[in-house]
Amino acid sequence: MTDHGTPAVELRAATRTYGTGERAVTALDRVDARFEPGTFTAVMGPSGSGKSTLLHCAAGLDRLSNGEVVIDGVPVGGMSERALTRLRRSRVGFVFQAFNLVPALTAAQNVALPLRLARRRPEPGAVAAMLAEVGLAGREGHRPSELSGGQQQRVAIARALVSRPAVLFADEPTGALDAASGAAVLRLLREAVDRHRQTIVMVTHDPLAAATADRVLFLADGRVFDELPGAAGAERIALHIAHAQHTVVAR
Amino acid sequence: MTAAWAMVRHRFASFAGTFVAVFLGVAVVAGSATLHLSSRPQAPARYDQAPVLVTPPDPGTGDDRDRQSWTSAQAAALAARLDALEGVTAAVPDPWFYVQRLDAGRPTGDAQASLLDGHAWSSAALGGYRLTSGRAPTATGEVVIGTTAASDTPSRPSSTKTTSAIKTDSRPSETDRSDKAPQGTGKESRASTNESTSGTGAAGKALITTPNTSGAPTNGSAGSGSTTTGETGSGGPGNSGPASNSTGNGGAGNGASRTRAGTATASAMGTVVVLTSAGPEEWRVTGTVDGPGFYVTDRDAAERASGVQVIGLTVSGDPQRVADAAGAVVGAEGVVRSGAERDALEPGSITRIRWIGAQLLIALVTLGAFATVFVVSSTCALSAAQRRRELGLLRAVGATPGQVQRMMYAETALIALLAGLLGAPAGMAAAPLLADPMISTGLEPAGFTVTWQPVALVGAIVLGLFVALAGVTAAARRASRIPPLEALREAAADPRAMTPARWVVGLLCGAAGGALLAAMPSLPLATRSSAGMGAAMLLLSSAALLSPVLIVPLVRVVVRPWQGTPTGMLVREGTLTGVRRVASTAAPVLATVGLTVLLAGTVATIEVATGIDETARYPAADVLVPDGTPGLSAAAVTAQGAHPELTTRLLITHGDRTAGRSATGRGDALALDRLSAGELGAGVGDTVTIRFVDGAETKLPVAAVGDETSIPRRLVRQHDPDALTGMLVLRKPAVAVPGARSLPIHEFVMEEIDQEGRLIDLFLVALIGLTAGYTAIAVGNTLLMATAARRGEFRALRLAGAGTGQVLRVVTAEALLAVVIGAVLGGLVAVVSLVGVRAAVEDEIGRDIALVLPWGATAAVTTVCAVLAVVASAFPLLKSRGTPA
Ligand SMILES: Nc1ncnc2c1ncn2[C@@H]1O[C@H](COP(=O)(O)OP(=O)(O)OP(=O)(O)O)[C@@H](O)[C@H]1O
Ligand SMILES: [Mg+2]
Repeated sequence: MTDHGTPAVELRAATRTYGTGERAVTALDRVDARFEPGTFTAVMGPSGSGKSTLLHCAAGLDRLSNGEVVIDGVPVGGMSERALTRLRRSRVGFVFQAFNLVPALTAAQNVALPLRLARRRPEPGAVAAMLAEVGLAGREGHRPSELSGGQQQRVAIARALVSRPAVLFADEPTGALDAASGAAVLRLLREAVDRHRQTIVMVTHDPLAAATADRVLFLADGRVFDELPGAAGAERIALHIAHAQHTVVAR
Repeated sequence: MTAAWAMVRHRFASFAGTFVAVFLGVAVVAGSATLHLSSRPQAPARYDQAPVLVTPPDPGTGDDRDRQSWTSAQAAALAARLDALEGVTAAVPDPWFYVQRLDAGRPTGDAQASLLDGHAWSSAALGGYRLTSGRAPTATGEVVIGTTAASDTPSRPSSTKTTSAIKTDSRPSETDRSDKAPQGTGKESRASTNESTSGTGAAGKALITTPNTSGAPTNGSAGSGSTTTGETGSGGPGNSGPASNSTGNGGAGNGASRTRAGTATASAMGTVVVLTSAGPEEWRVTGTVDGPGFYVTDRDAAERASGVQVIGLTVSGDPQRVADAAGAVVGAEGVVRSGAERDALEPGSITRIRWIGAQLLIALVTLGAFATVFVVSSTCALSAAQRRRELGLLRAVGATPGQVQRMMYAETALIALLAGLLGAPAGMAAAPLLADPMISTGLEPAGFTVTWQPVALVGAIVLGLFVALAGVTAAARRASRIPPLEALREAAADPRAMTPARWVVGLLCGAAGGALLAAMPSLPLATRSSAGMGAAMLLLSSAALLSPVLIVPLVRVVVRPWQGTPTGMLVREGTLTGVRRVASTAAPVLATVGLTVLLAGTVATIEVATGIDETARYPAADVLVPDGTPGLSAAAVTAQGAHPELTTRLLITHGDRTAGRSATGRGDALALDRLSAGELGAGVGDTVTIRFVDGAETKLPVAAVGDETSIPRRLVRQHDPDALTGMLVLRKPAVAVPGARSLPIHEFVMEEIDQEGRLIDLFLVALIGLTAGYTAIAVGNTLLMATAARRGEFRALRLAGAGTGQVLRVVTAEALLAVVIGAVLGGLVAVVSLVGVRAAVEDEIGRDIALVLPWGATAAVTTVCAVLAVVASAFPLLKSRGTPA
């Protein structure tokens, strides 16, 4: 799906400011980042450091004030809302921390939603297979209100993966889950990378979660502050975080 | 779209408002349209056996009061030629004349219909009527009388009431007259006569006093208070009208005669006392016939009738072929009508009644559609605001703005279709129930039945769909602009209450409404009432759109006294942060109160104005007016020592121009009114061709040009033997005569006004009832939706230590606040419109009039709204009390 050499997503001097004048907040400050196909990146940083903003901008859910985002080789800067939406639904998957599913639709309908919106008919069995892959075989007909939080997150991941996107973004996907459900969700993401060469960018506060990634980006004050390989282990990651916080406070 | 369907199914509650609004709107439209379409012109039943009818050519003056006739001789000659055609069994001229049975000196039957109740015996064949007893009339003074009522109503299965009982005791007519004397035993009978037939005044007045203005169906629309009665001679609603009296049901004659039904038997032949244009007459009954009317010899009928206007053909074989052949024979001498074209022969009096009914139905449809758009748009806006998060999620998952918009449309279309599919049959089912009330209130002719109208059904559903889609437009456009990140917002903060579009449309509506109001005085009379309504609708829409701007200061002012209390604080903050919600709740209240104040206020203001106007104009004299009859007979007038003042219609031709005019029989020469003189290009000394209603033509020089068209009375008598006098100003005490009563002029005028007022009140009740009922439901629904969506908020409040009572207080206070705001804004808009209406009326009558505000009605609808609002907002709260926090 992705060409060799082209990153799944690339941010160039990405800047995002909220508000104007006195009350202006720079959530992202000239961030450069590349997310190569088939890699699993974790984004960490203190609260308010701009992680969510980074994800939203990279996913085309929000627009940059300055700089450029290139998704799967396509610069999204000047795109119309419609074109951007189309790009998003074919190349990008997104998993929020909560409220991912349309309450009116069943699990299967939620998973099929991006395809439906793209006027593509899901291949027979594809949706069921996707749900089975996230461990929810037989739950196709359940509505979100009939599923646990972890199950809902897994449905959301199934939906994000069903269109085989170039990149999947997840903003604290395990934030609202207990340890066991969180671990299950992380395993799922890891498998997607290993089995299907899925590109994943995940925001997390949990060093253990970050340790499952290939690479960890540290954000502070809207800038990429450092980066570590995931293999560095949860402890070193945790230390880095503390350091980052320390730096921010020191500033 | 499956997503739309799933949404609708899942969140039916939030679509309930749209559903109810469209359901009601479609029901109202389907019902009204069914009634309207069922009320078709229909050829009189007395032509049931005449599939081909020939009428004289249209005079081409564009006024439906102008009818060209054949003289008896012309009609006979034409009939003879038609008779010779192959396939024609008989060609029968149908001359008709005024005749009404007198029962104990009292005219019976429907006054207007009686104008066409006298016929030639040979014309009975056109209706397929046969002798049920006795023999045909052979000499003048002999009559065969009908044994069915509802003299000239279209055939219908249920019209089996019998009437026209024969007087078997053959009392001399003098006895009848003495019965009428205002003294002694006659007093009682006289009083009851007055009461039971007071409605006919309008018709009588119309015959003589109606100015020669536009044709009926242009003037006066619903609730405006402008004249809806007494336009043409065909009579106002009074005839069968709302004159609530002892007989109860209108069509007073029917009611009366029904009680004396069924004495007509062959063995009881005697005489019958009738009233004709000449006066009371006693006829010998030679037989009875199984149809309505009075049948005299052909010669007698020809003398009594003012010309012939119909030749009926009974045929053997294909009517269409006969019609084609007849067309060739008739040429320019007449018009051949077959099939549906025959229905154009409906009597004008019935057309008139149906027209009045149509005014109400049209007003109902308009108001229904307006209310639907209003309610749908406010509930859709509210539900879209409540669903921001969900819509944001859809955007995030890959729905384009267009798709979100289309989904909103699809949802609404689904709901509207569902509501329409249920509402249209409901409306159609309700329509037949309204038939009888409409007949008895004079909005449909007797014999009116509701028929199956698929066009109404489908049309109402389609209209409901379009109206709902129009209502959702703004909300859908707004929803499509919801950014995907909205999905992440925990509690959907109330979005900006005023959008640029809202500003623009609101201001535009306000400007258009204001301009319309300002322009009212310069608009033609006939369009003013609709202009007033239109202006009010525009201003109300404008107020609803701009209400968020006004809500903030209004809330601050209203809540001030309770600022210190926790309830006051919560209400204030809850309202100020939920301006949009308050606006949605206030909107239907605004519309209800606004329309109520406007409609009731307009009518009250105009009524007061007309009262002043009319009573001031008349001298203190008595008038002789028709009493249960369409006009005064010659005998009734001569009995007063006066000459009958006859009015007739003339077709005046000068050169190649023809004008139709009402003319009075007076003097001994022809005078033209200035307008006709100008129109015809004729001046004093010019000779014009006059065609009388009996078809005769004569050339007369114009002797004078003045205010009025008049022609020697002798000529009117001669050429319009059936003419009646409208009313007579008395110079000495009245002599009692059948079919007439005397009363002071101003009393008569007040009776007329009451008549009219009763009809207008009926319109008012129907229209306000519709609006109020409609918007009341909207108020309830909006609050139900809003409170249900805020359950979480209230739970939090309760967790913070507020008791259920306290939460309830806050919620109901908020609801009441919204009602107060709506009522104040609606009242303001209505008062502004009322001032405009008053200006127009003042301009019309040239005098200052007082503004009458209908406090009672306003208080009533506001209270209804308030009660509903409290119940609707408290209900979901009490219901959710049991559910865990
Ligand atoms: N819609 C917004 N309007 C104004 N400021 C915003 C908005 N969204 C984010 N911000 C600001 O931008 C900065 C970055 O926010 P962001 O949500 O990206 O942080 P984060 O790293 O995701 O924090 P957390 O870990 O708490 O989720 C913060 O200072 C925040 O206040
Ligand atoms: Mg965040």
